Amino acid sequence: MTLLDFINFYLVPGIVLGSIYAVGAIGITLVFGILRFAHFAHGDMATLGAFIALALVTAGMDPWTALPLAMAITAGVAIGIDRTFYDYLKARPKIVTVMASLGVALMLRSVVQMLWGVDPTTYVTGIVRPTDYFGILLRPRELYTLTAVVLIVVGLELFLRRSKWGKAMRAMSDNPDLARLSGVDNRKVTMLTWAIVGALTAASGFMLGINTEVESMMGWHLLLPMFAAAILGGVGRVQGAVLGGLIVGIAEELSVFILPAQYKAATAFALLLLILLVRPRGLLNGKVL
Amino acid sequence: MNKKTLASLVGAVLGAAVLTAPAHAQNVKVGLLGGITGPIAAMAPSMLDASRLAFNQVNEQGGILNGGRLEVVVGDSACNPQNATDAATKAVNIDRVIATVGPHCSGAVLAATNSVAVPAGVLVVTPSGTSPEITRINDRDLVFRTVPSDDYQGRALARTLKARGITKVAVAYLNNDYGKGLAESFKAEFEAGGGTIAGYSGHEDGKASYRSDLAQLARGGADTLVIFDYGDGTGLTILRQALENNFFKTFIGADGMKSEAVIRSLGAANLTNFFASAPVGEASASLDAFRTAFSAAGGNPDAIFTTTSYDAAFLVALAIEKAGGDRSKLAEALRAVASAPGEPILPGEWAKAKKLIAEGKDIDYKGAAGDHEFDRAGDVPGQYAFFKVSGNTYEAVGEMK
Repeated sequence: MTLLDFINFYLVPGIVLGSIYAVGAIGITLVFGILRFAHFAHGDMATLGAFIALALVTAGMDPWTALPLAMAITAGVAIGIDRTFYDYLKARPKIVTVMASLGVALMLRSVVQMLWGVDPTTYVTGIVRPTDYFGILLRPRELYTLTAVVLIVVGLELFLRRSKWGKAMRAMSDNPDLARLSGVDNRKVTMLTWAIVGALTAASGFMLGINTEVESMMGWHLLLPMFAAAILGGVGRVQGAVLGGLIVGIAEELSVFILPAQYKAATAFALLLLILLVRPRGLLNGKVL
Repeated sequence: MNKKTLASLVGAVLGAAVLTAPAHAQNVKVGLLGGITGPIAAMAPSMLDASRLAFNQVNEQGGILNGGRLEVVVGDSACNPQNATDAATKAVNIDRVIATVGPHCSGAVLAATNSVAVPAGVLVVTPSGTSPEITRINDRDLVFRTVPSDDYQGRALARTLKARGITKVAVAYLNNDYGKGLAESFKAEFEAGGGTIAGYSGHEDGKASYRSDLAQLARGGADTLVIFDYGDGTGLTILRQALENNFFKTFIGADGMKSEAVIRSLGAANLTNFFASAPVGEASASLDAFRTAFSAAGGNPDAIFTTTSYDAAFLVALAIEKAGGDRSKLAEALRAVASAPGEPILPGEWAKAKKLIAEGKDIDYKGAAGDHEFDRAGDVPGQYAFFKVSGNTYEAVGEMK
């Protein structure tokens, strides 16, 4: 096997996959860091986002133009879900909200299955053969995916570090009571968080869909690697989620060298166990944004 | 007289009482176990209706044995081993059925037969369990099926590829009962015929990328990939990624891959080298008789596994009649009524069959799904064709031997 084969068939797919995990893991980390619960409906929210984009594409839009719109719509849905379900359980122990999010996951999936059915479909019919860049084979959709991920991560980092609302989110993540005393409106920050999380899930669902197929279980299958990525990098850290996503994605693709291929899915589990044993706070000490 | 003798005396008297019970107009209980809830909930109602049609025909045309009725005990096997065991336990130990039609799913059949039906000596005929594992149950000749085992398909596919001049392949299979069973049968037959398996690996479903799996498989140097997976699931992802990266030139799938979703997503133009095997029904007077009767009863004869469900139920009834209601002779009787030689019996011809059995004549049931000549393991051979993509659908390009 040549180095180019290694890059083309193991490393590049790993990086693309890892970027998709990373975008999803950022959402998980935001919910955990600011609202302090594990959001199990994350995967199915990604499915919903992917299908909203599909509806727009079916209506005649170009897939990459449909993406921002789908992100906006899913952001609205995420706020709606928070208002309808999670907000109502705010005063109860967090475990109740965690379980409720599992229920929301099942509801979202059923809605998708009722509206669009269970057959897999695609944004664009046909196959795309890669372009050769000095021996490295890349498809346009892979380049777009990587670009979109970089834009999202840089944009989010800037927003959290520089803007007033980003600072408010970080303050609430640090200490919600103190933030409220200092004049941060927790309600608005919660809404803002859900808007960002909704948009991010739609992006991860869309990017998974455009690189494979769109089907009703796609998001659910993403959930475990996304959680593994978030915990691996350090819960509550955006850079950690990105790092974790890339590690999990690349590790899954490279695992076929040492393990039979049917254990590929177990790689994320194994990494998760290992990091919990060796470094439970994650690679970049997790806790606050 | 000590206690032991007393006990055995009482036992003997009770036994005699059972033996001398009047033999006329006795009803017979049969179980009908199916995946009413669970993953095949959408298919199960039609399958159960088809089986009920057979039992109703028996009851309308003179009943079973000496004017008795077939009493159907319905159980939900839910397409999973635990529920199947519970449902079978209830049917066998509480309702005292002497035979069951179903369970439906392979895993359910394995559990229900191994833990309940076979130890109790109850005949089981499944209309839809296709796993090769069912052949290997140590069943004391009590487990039969009216649907062909995937083993036949895997082997037929191996022979077809050999006949088409393909001698070196890589195999990617979904790691479940379906994919693994097919892959093992295929591998055994292909290697026995002198072919080379240049790559052989299982995969889990639901992953976003299988490019590294495919790269590993392609390293063996084969240019044909055989995929045992579902075309509206992971199989589609694998096929797409293999095509896009030029890992292989020719792609072969089994019935699971013969899905419209493949053509819809990848486009017929890209699938000129994609072939799939699938079972094909055989037009026959039996099939017509079943279709007419089932439509008249309000069923949809095109629904999947309805023909095999009907045949399973009708065969069970014939076997009970032939065995005179003696459960220890059921398996032998089932083989007798299903196999040549004998007077042909078509679906619905219960009165005729009953008369012939009463006269001591041999009968041969010709089922809606096929002749049902059971082999030693209680399996029936299947009919398969090889399909290619043509336009926006599949077109048969030849029979598979």
